Order: sequence, then structure tokens, then C-alpha cells
Amino acid sequence: MANTLLEALNVRVVGSGDRILVLAHGFGTDQSVWQRILPFFTPNYRVILYDLVCAGSVNPDYFDSTRYDTLDAFVDDLLNILKALGVHRCAYVGHSVSAMIGILASIRCPQLFSKLILIGASPRFLNDENYHGGFELGEIEEVFSAMEANYEAWVNGFAPVLVGADVPTAVREFSRTLFNMRPDISLFVSRTIFNSDLRGELGKVRVPCCVIQTAKDVSVPASVAEYLKTRLGGRTTVEILRTEGHLPHLTAPVLLAQVLRRALPR
Amino acid sequence: MAAGTSSNVHLHDIPDVILSNIFSLETETRTRNAMSLVCLKWLLLERSTRKSLTLRGNIRNLFLLPTCFRAVTHLDLSFLSPWGYPLLDSFSNPLVLAQFLRHAFPSVVSLIAYVRNPLTLHLLASQWPNLQHVKLVRWHQLWPAAPVGSDLVPLFDHCPMLSSLDVSHFYCWTEDLPPVIQAYPSIATSLSHLNILKHDSSTDGFKSHQLLSITACCPNLRKLLATCIFNPRFIGFISDQTLLTLALNCPLLSLLHLADSTSMSNVRPNLIEDASISFATLGDVFSKLPLLEELVLDVCHNVKHTWPALELLNTKCPMLKSLRLGQFQGICRGIASPPDGVALCQGLESLSIKNCTDLTDKALIAISHGCHRLSKFEVLGCNQLTRKGMWEFTHNLRKTLVDVKISYCKNLNAVSSLQALEPIRDRIVKLHIDCVWASIIGEEKSLKNWSKLKYLSLWIAVGELLNPLSLSGLNGCPSLEEIQIKIEGDCRDQPKPFMDAFGLSSLTCYPNLTRMILDCSGVTGYALTAPVGHTDLSLWERFFLSGIQDSTLNELNYWTAQDVDVNQRCLFLPAAGLLAQCGSLRKLFIHGTANEHLMMFLLGNPTLRDVQLREDYYPAPDNDTITEMRVGSCCRFEDALNSSSRHVPD
Repeated sequence: MANTLLEALNVRVVGSGDRILVLAHGFGTDQSVWQRILPFFTPNYRVILYDLVCAGSVNPDYFDSTRYDTLDAFVDDLLNILKALGVHRCAYVGHSVSAMIGILASIRCPQLFSKLILIGASPRFLNDENYHGGFELGEIEEVFSAMEANYEAWVNGFAPVLVGADVPTAVREFSRTLFNMRPDISLFVSRTIFNSDLRGELGKVRVPCCVIQTAKDVSVPASVAEYLKTRLGGRTTVEILRTEGHLPHLTAPVLLAQVLRRALPR
Repeated sequence: MAAGTSSNVHLHDIPDVILSNIFSLETETRTRNAMSLVCLKWLLLERSTRKSLTLRGNIRNLFLLPTCFRAVTHLDLSFLSPWGYPLLDSFSNPLVLAQFLRHAFPSVVSLIAYVRNPLTLHLLASQWPNLQHVKLVRWHQLWPAAPVGSDLVPLFDHCPMLSSLDVSHFYCWTEDLPPVIQAYPSIATSLSHLNILKHDSSTDGFKSHQLLSITACCPNLRKLLATCIFNPRFIGFISDQTLLTLALNCPLLSLLHLADSTSMSNVRPNLIEDASISFATLGDVFSKLPLLEELVLDVCHNVKHTWPALELLNTKCPMLKSLRLGQFQGICRGIASPPDGVALCQGLESLSIKNCTDLTDKALIAISHGCHRLSKFEVLGCNQLTRKGMWEFTHNLRKTLVDVKISYCKNLNAVSSLQALEPIRDRIVKLHIDCVWASIIGEEKSLKNWSKLKYLSLWIAVGELLNPLSLSGLNGCPSLEEIQIKIEGDCRDQPKPFMDAFGLSSLTCYPNLTRMILDCSGVTGYALTAPVGHTDLSLWERFFLSGIQDSTLNELNYWTAQDVDVNQRCLFLPAAGLLAQCGSLRKLFIHGTANEHLMMFLLGNPTLRDVQLREDYYPAPDNDTITEMRVGSCCRFEDALNSSSRHVPD
């Protein structure tokens, strides 16, 4: 079972060193998104990379929609991988949805993680009273219903462009990586992410965290970083990158790598 | 069998020997496959006369190798799936597989193989010691710790009869070759064909001393193609002395092709730099190569006052049929009435002139008078030529000219090029023009019939549309079978295209068009990294491919655009969706990577039967650094493509 998991999720261990670093990608990408960050860490760390089950590079047959209807199943996958590799302690870097997965994993197994580094993280994407998550339910529903109603248009990639003309930049930005996954899986996981609300869990985190945010990320408002800092249970720092965009590991790898180095425990 | 005769002679009355000769003349694979289904006798005859075979199929199915093609002498193993995978590495006993290959194809003397590591070559070469012609292919990066020359040693070790070697698509260092050639002198002296061109832009080309050391060991070379360094600022540049010594080393050359290392990537003329080659030496070189039939000197640096040398070319190399010159100035002055320079080379059938900035209309017309047998003509970057001169040229050669290429000549845009070709409109078979549109409104209302045109090649800048093509004079091409479109440019700063579609649907006016090469590899843009407000490559991809669903194409080679920052060339959702709807497509070859689920979209296309991802560009992505199309994905896709539940109509 363990071996099929490692194979199915394309788990790779590269680099050499006595410390272990896990790089977890976010929605709509796969582990190749870390390729420009890797060279900075392979000399000193054993780096573990894997693909989320919803990534375009994983056999879609492995995606069981009854199992993956909440983030808990993704957390199971992560913990099973670390168990199969015999990892007892590691530092974890997670982007977007993987940041949330990392938070939940650290609540379940606090001794496993020495540090959590969260890039582009958000405990809840939908706006609420007194909480600005960045997205209104109505906007998101427009994208989802376009995806569902017109499969043909979705396949031709027209859905988000047609929708994108009317919806705010945040949704357009978020839907950019939407197509790197199979449409039904993509729709399902999007719903899972937008339905999740981890604000209540943040206080249970004991592991020290570093929240990394770009100066202008259309998918994650600036206030979210501050929110995380005040609510996360462990010692938390916030780093703002002097760059824009939701994918700093692709657009500004050198900058991000420097910040990661400083944030990782010695 | 002639219809209308009433004799009782049947095809089977013809003696077997003659029948076998008849069968040997047929080279088209589908025809041969059909012939082999007629009856047992024809099956055996077909199998015994099939000389050339390209294996397609998954490597893990190698044990299913057909053993009925025992007469095959030319075997191509470079297209096995997954493309570029180390051939025998995945088997626990690679030697047995290699022996099985030998058992299935005992008569192979010509081999093309994708070789990732020396072990593969060692195993293959040892199975076929009679190999005479070998072409190696590799676009992947080298193993970092490989010793110099280790890639080629197994071949030279096992194949003493090697006479022809082609490493033009094989990524290796230039330092690898000379020591190997020197270490095997007996093979070197019998080597007659050596192709060491470099098609990847990352290697520099052979230095002067390397070229000379190779040619010194191979005096019997008849064909030499090499990429070298003509820039006099670089160490090891090709000088007068180099060329002279080369000619002395290999006097039997019938094909000499020397290209500068920038010739593949850089088309704009390097007017500032001069090559260190004089016309006087060129003349000497030509006189030492009397057997020359084809000469290519693509120098990419100025060679001046060359007409005396070219006049000598005519007398010293009487068998010369094909000439290609890059950045030679003064090839023909055309000022006085007796022809001069290249116009004296009367035997030429093919002439290609690149970046000759001083070539005037008069000189061009003089060439058309002098080289009256020209059937193929290419002109690139000659900015003084005008439509009038070009028209005169084609008019003078209207009995012989069938293949013309006109590219980035300032005064010859699409419409003026087509007008200049009017005298050969009903003869021309192969044509290239750049799609530079001027004001073409109201230019061509009448139907222009290009009755023999079979192959059309176009260059177009990114952001331009294709639709004006049929309006500019190419609206009647009943015989057009194949079209090649190269799109080039940086779309990062371009505004989003204002039209929905590039214009592929305008190609439906060519009723017999079945093959297309759509080359967007020169388009650079943002894959996922577009800043806010900029357009992703996926939207550009939809722009380019929109309309392809209505085409009647059977075969498509699609080179994806690239994001140079992250070294990504991949297929996006719009392409997968649109290609899946292209109802007549049988063969699809994508030169880039693709995610598994996007490839699975293609299964919705009922007629597709041969699909492969070929990353034949340097550096080809290794499965370790990129997760798109891993081996497992490729195998699952091919299984699904070939499964019996898909009923392909023919």
C-alpha cells in the first residue's frame, strides 16, 4: 500500500543533508513548479517532493471523490507519505491549499514538523462578517456554474474567459491554473477549497510558522497574513515578498529562496 | 494489368524475380500493408522485399516484436514510445532484448537509434557488426560524469564496416569526436559520409583544429556536413588556412556543407563582422575539390568580393549542381553584359542566396540568364531586390523553376512575392513566403490557379493573422497537400489578439490539404507566470489553433510555444479540446510536453491512431525534472489509444 502511494503521487526525494524539507505545491500546479527553488536546497537538505492527488500529472483514477471531499484526506496522504519514507521530523513548505494541509497535519502530528512555512495561505477564501477572504460567494458560483453547465465550453477553455470578463481579477487569477487538472476533479476540489473554513483550527497549531505573502496577490488579500499571525497558536512571523503574483516560486524564485533560507530552522 | 486487353495473362504469370523487382519499387508503407493482405504469395513477397522499417510501439512490448521482416536493412528505432526513453534500461536482462532485436532483423546495415547512454549503443552495435550507416539521436542532456568520447566508442568498437555516421541530432560535445576518430584509423579511412552538424543552439560548433584533425584521419570522405565557428573573434575560428587544409585532406568530397554555429538561430545578418576568409583562398579551395556536386557555405559573417572565386567554381567544379551561400557579398555584379560571378555556374540546378546585401535586380537577372537550369531557388535577406527583378528572374527560368523560397527581403512582402512568381504560377511545386501583409485591400479578386503547388511554407510574426493569405493571390491551390506554418515572436508584451482566431479555418479553401506542420516554437510567452493584465500562453494557443476542428487534416506536427523563463513547452487545455474535435486527424505529433488528462481528451477523437509526444529540442525534459507525461502516463495513454474498444474507421 505504501509503495503504491509513493508511486501514485510521484514522490521524489532529492538532495543530501541530515535535515529534511518537504515542498508541497498548490492548486493547479504540480511538483515541477518548485524546479527553480530546488537547486538552493538540494546541497543541504533531503528534499521531498510529491504531487497532490488532484494534480494533472497524477492518474485521475486515483481521485476518489467520496474520499477527498474535505482537506482531511489530503492530510492523510501527506502523513502516509512521510510515514512510508520513515520521516520523524521535517520542515514543511506549503503553497496555497498545501499551506492549509500543512496546518491541519501539524495539528494532528505536532512533533513531526519543526517549522511550517506557508506561502499564499488563507484559512478561508470566502468573505464573512468582519472577515475579508477575498471572494464573494456569488462570484465563485458564477465560475462553478459555468464549468458545470457547459462542459463543451469548459473543454475549449472558454468558460473562465467568458466568465472572466465580468468577474473580478481575483477569480480570473485563480482560474488561470484551473485547467491543469481534469475538469471534474478541478471543479470538485475547487468546491472543497471554497467550502473549507479553518479559522477555528488555527489556534490549535503549536509549531512555529512563517507566513510568506507577496506584496500583491490577487487571490489572497494582505489582511489575511496579519489575521494568520494573530490567530496561529505557535510563534509566527510574517514576511512580505517584494514581488507580485500568486506563484512567487515561479515568478521570483531567487527572492523566495532567500526568504525561505532565513525562515528555515538552523 | 491493362484494362481493355483481352489477354489471359495474370499478374502471377510474371516470373517471381520480376514480381519481386516490382514489389521492391513500392516504398509507401500503407500501400505495402495493403499489398500484403492480398494473398499468401503477396504477403511473402512483400515481406521479403521490405527494406526499411520504423518501429513504433511501446518499449515494454518489445517482446511482441514482429519477426516476419527479415529482409529489412534499414531500421529506425528512434520513435519507440515513450519517446526518448533509454532503450534497454528498463529491462532486467537488456542483452536478451538486444539479441531478440538481432534475431528479428538479421540483415540490418543501416540504423537510427535514440541513444541515452553508452550501454544502449554497446548492446545494439554488438548485435549488428555489419552496420554501415548509423544515425544517433539524443536531445537529452548528457550524463554529467561521462568521459570524453564514451558515447561513440562502443559504435566504433563493434562496427568495423562503418562508412556513414550522422550525429546531427545527437547532443554531445565537439571534443567527443576527434579522439574517437583518431583511435580507430581503419574505420576513419573508410568513412565516406560524416554529418556533424549541430541542431541545438547550445553547442558552439567545431573548432578549426578539431575539423582538421577529423578530416586528416578521413581522406576518403565524400560527404561532410559540419557546424563550425567562422567568427574571427573566437578561438578556433575557420580561416583561409583551415579551408585549404580541409580541401587537401579530403579531395574526394562531393558534398561539403559548412555552417556557422549561429546559422540555426540567427537569421538577421551580422553585417558588422567579417569572416576571415578571402576570395583568393576560396578559389584555391574550389580547385582542390573537382568532384564537388553540392556546396553549402553558410558563413553568417561577411565574405567579400566573391565573384572571382565563384567564376572559378564553374571551371574547377564542373559537376556542381547545388550551391548555398550565406553572407557572400559580390556574388554577381551584373553590371556588364557578359555574366560574371555565380551567373557563370551554368550547371547549377539549385541556388540559395542568404544575406547578400549588395545583390541588385540586374545581378539577379544576370543569374537567371547564366544559370539557365535552375529548378530550385532561395533568396533570404537580400534587401535590394524588388518585385520587378524577381519577376524577370522567374520569367527567364519559367521552363525549369519549380521550387522557390523568398524570405525577409524588405521589398518582397507576401503580395509582391506572389506577383513576382506569376510566370511560374502553373509550374511551381514548392513555395515559401513570409506573411508580411501590406495594404492588400482590393488586390486580388480573380481566382489565381496554382495548379501544381504541393508544398507551401509560411513564416508569420506573432499577432498577425493568416486570413489575408487567400486574399493575396493564393486562393486556388487544388494540389496543395502539405503546409508548414512557422510563427515567431515574443508575445509577452503583445496586447491580447483582437481577433478570436489566427485564421486556420481559412485553409479549408485548399481541398486536398492533408498534412500540416504548425511550428510555434519561436513564440515565447508566459506559461503560468504572466503578471496581472498580461495574457497567458494558453490563450494564445487557443488563438492559434481555433479553426483546426473544421480542417481536413490527416497529419499534424505541432510545436508548442515556450516559456523560456521556466523552460516549459507544453500543451494547454485549448489545444487538447480543439484537436480532439478535429474529425479527420489520424496522426498527431506534439513537440512539447502535456499533462496526462489533456492527452486523454484526445481519445475523444474517433479517427486518431498515432499520437506521440516528441521533445526533440534541447534540452529535452527529463522525467526527473518534469512531471508532465511520465512513463506511466504515456503507457496508460497509449493503451487507451490502441485499445480494442476504439473503432477507428479505416
